[in-house]
Amino acid sequence: MTQVLRCEGLRKAFGDLQAVEDISFTIDRGETYGLLGPNGAGKTTSISMVAGLLHPDAGEIVVAGERMHPRATTAKAAVGLVPQEVAIYPDLSARENLRFFGRLYALRQRQLDARVDAILEVIGLSDRGDDRAGEYSGGMKRRLNIGIGLLHEPQLLILDEPTVGVDPQSRNAILESVEALATDGLAVLYTTHYMEEAERLCDRIAIVDKGRVAAEGTRRELVATIGEQDLVRLDVAGDAPQAAVALRQLHDLGSVDVEDHAVVCLLHGAAQRLPTLLGAVAEVGVSVTGVEVREPDLEDVFLHLTGAALRD
Amino acid sequence: MRAASAILGKDLRLRLRDRSMLLFAVVIPLGLTVLFSFVFPDAEDIELTGTVVDEDGGEVASGFVDGVLPTLVDDGLLTLVDVDDAQDARRQVEDGDLDAAWIVPDGFSRAVTAGEAAELEVLVAAGAGIAGEVARGVADAFATELEQVTLAVAVDAQARGGAPSPQRIEALAAASQERSDVIAVEDLVTGGEDQLDNMSYLAAGMASFFVFFVVSTGVIGLLEERSQGTMPRLLAAPIPPGAIQLGKSLGSLIVGLASMTVLAFASSLLLGADWGHPLGVAMLIVAIVLAAMGVMALVGTFARTVEQAGNFQSIVAVVLGLFGGVFFPIPGEGWLIDVATAASPHGWFLQGLSELVASGEVAAAVPATLAILAVAVVTAVPAFVLQRRGLA
Repeated sequence: MTQVLRCEGLRKAFGDLQAVEDISFTIDRGETYGLLGPNGAGKTTSISMVAGLLHPDAGEIVVAGERMHPRATTAKAAVGLVPQEVAIYPDLSARENLRFFGRLYALRQRQLDARVDAILEVIGLSDRGDDRAGEYSGGMKRRLNIGIGLLHEPQLLILDEPTVGVDPQSRNAILESVEALATDGLAVLYTTHYMEEAERLCDRIAIVDKGRVAAEGTRRELVATIGEQDLVRLDVAGDAPQAAVALRQLHDLGSVDVEDHAVVCLLHGAAQRLPTLLGAVAEVGVSVTGVEVREPDLEDVFLHLTGAALRD
Repeated sequence: MRAASAILGKDLRLRLRDRSMLLFAVVIPLGLTVLFSFVFPDAEDIELTGTVVDEDGGEVASGFVDGVLPTLVDDGLLTLVDVDDAQDARRQVEDGDLDAAWIVPDGFSRAVTAGEAAELEVLVAAGAGIAGEVARGVADAFATELEQVTLAVAVDAQARGGAPSPQRIEALAAASQERSDVIAVEDLVTGGEDQLDNMSYLAAGMASFFVFFVVSTGVIGLLEERSQGTMPRLLAAPIPPGAIQLGKSLGSLIVGLASMTVLAFASSLLLGADWGHPLGVAMLIVAIVLAAMGVMALVGTFARTVEQAGNFQSIVAVVLGLFGGVFFPIPGEGWLIDVATAASPHGWFLQGLSELVASGEVAAAVPATLAILAVAVVTAVPAFVLQRRGLA
C-alpha cells in the first residue's frame, strides 16, 4: 500500500490550552481513517495542521511525500479539504464556486471545464449548477462543499464532520459518496463524533481524547481492547452512583460506569452473572427498571477508555 | 498573481451582484451632491430680496444704507425694494414677500459715535434659508466694522489727549465706508476666491467621503471569508497567503478608482462640476483611494467580525470626512481642529482640487497628493503587517 499521509508526534497549543498533545497516525491510499472523539478532543486542530492551515508546535506531517506546512504549495495541492462549516460563496452558482476554487488549484481551462462538469454530476447538481448556491437546500450545499474538495483530484481528502446538521437523507447520501471515494483509491481522513459513521466508513479509527490518541485500530481491534466481554446496561429508578458502588464490590467486572439514570458494566458471561448484578443493586435499595445485554460498540470502547460518553 | 487574479475576479463578480455597492459607489454620492447643492447654493446663485428702513438718517446709518447695501445690489446679490416704513417692512417680511429687512432705528448713529450700545435690527422671513443667513451676515459684518471704528476712535482720542473732533470722527467713519467692500457675501458662503465652485466642492467631497466605504469591502472581504467559512479553504489552497491580500487589495483599488472616476465624470457632465486639470485630478484620485484603503484596512484589523469592522470603519470615515470638510468647509479654529483637518485625507483632497482649479497647473496638486499618500503609507504598512499575521 502507498502511504499518503504520515503524522508523527503532533502537538499544538493555543496559549495555555494544549489542543493537541501527541497525535501520530498514517493513512494509505484507498483507506478511510477516522478520528473519533467528542467536541474539543483535538480533531479539528489535528486536521487543520494536516491541511496546512496551522503550523504544529512539534511533530511532522508528510503528505504524498511532501512535508506539510502553511507555505507548502506542493503538499497542499495533494489535499482536498472539506471544512465542517459549509465553505461556499452563496452569491455564486455551484459552477462558479467550483471554477473559482479550481483556478486556485491551477487547473487549466479545458481541464477545469471537464472537472467542473464531472463534479456536478458526482454531487448530483448538474441540473442546478447555474443556480445561486444560496438558494440550495442544506443537503445540496453540503454536497457542493464536498465537491469543491474533490475538484482537483486530491490524493488525500479531509472531511471534518461533514454530516453535522444534515438531515438523515442527505447524511446517507454523503456517507455513500465517501464509501465510493475510498473504493476509487482516495485516502480519506474523516473526523466525526458519530460512532455509527466511524463504524460504517472507516477502515481504521483513532479514538481521540484530550489531544491524544487513546486507542487506534480497526473496529474489531478497538472493541477487542475491552476483551471478549459483554456490555450490561441497568436502567435504575434510584441512586445510580450508589448502585455503581455496589457493583464495583463484585469481582471480575471490567468496568462500571454511570450514564444518566443507568449503570453500564463490562463483564464476561453476562447471562450467567446477571442475577448477581441485580441482587447487588437491590441490596442498596435501588430498583432496576430495565436491563440490556449486548456486544460492545465504539461508544462503549470510548467510554471504557476515557470514562466519558462521546456526546460529552 | 494567478491566484490573486482569481480572487480579484471572484470578488468583483460578487461586488457587481451586490447592488448596495453601486449605491455607495455612485448613486448616493451623486444624489447627495445634488441634494446639498440645493442646501448650500453658490454665492452667485443667492438672490436676496430685501429692504432697508433708515429711521436714523445719521452718518453711521448712511454708511450702511448708502455704503454697504449698494455694493451688494451692484454685485447682483440683493434686490432692494422700497417700503413705507418699518411696520410695512415687518409685514412684508412676515408675509414672505421679502426675504429680509434691515431697520436702522432712530438714534443709531448718535449711540455709535457716543460709544454706547446700538442696535441694527434684521428681520428674516421664515423659510428664507441661505438668503436669510446672508442678511444676518451682512449686518454682523457691518457691526464688526463699527466696533473696529469705535475702537479706532477711542485709540485716536487717547493718542491725541482729548475727545476727537466731529471732523475726525467723520473721517474715520468715511474710511470705514470705503472699506465696506470687505463684506463679501461670497466669503460668507464659500470661504473665498480661487475655490472649487459649490457643485464641484460637494461632488468631490461626497466622492472622497463614500470612497472610504467603497474600498472598505476589501478589508471586510477578509472578515467575510472568515465568517462564511471560506477562509480555511483559501488558506488550504496551494497559493501564497499574500495572494489573498493582493487579490482583496486589487479589488478595493479597482472599485475605488472606478467609483471616483465615474463620479468625477458624472458630476462634470450632469451637474457641471469642474474638478480641474484631468492629470492632477487623476493623481489626487489615486492618492485618496490608496489612503482610503490604508485607513480602512488598519481600522478593520482591530475588528473581529464583519459588523464590528463596518461600525469602526463608518465612525472613522465620518470623523475624517467631517474634519476634512466634505459636507461644509471647517473654519479651522483651534489647534485640535487644525491637527484633525491636517490628518484628514479628505481635507487634503479638497484642498488639492481647489489649488488645481485656482492655478490650472498639475503641479499645484502635488503637495496635497503627497500628503494623502503619506496617510496611505502610514496606515497601509501596519495594516499589511497585522493582516499578514492574521493569515499566517
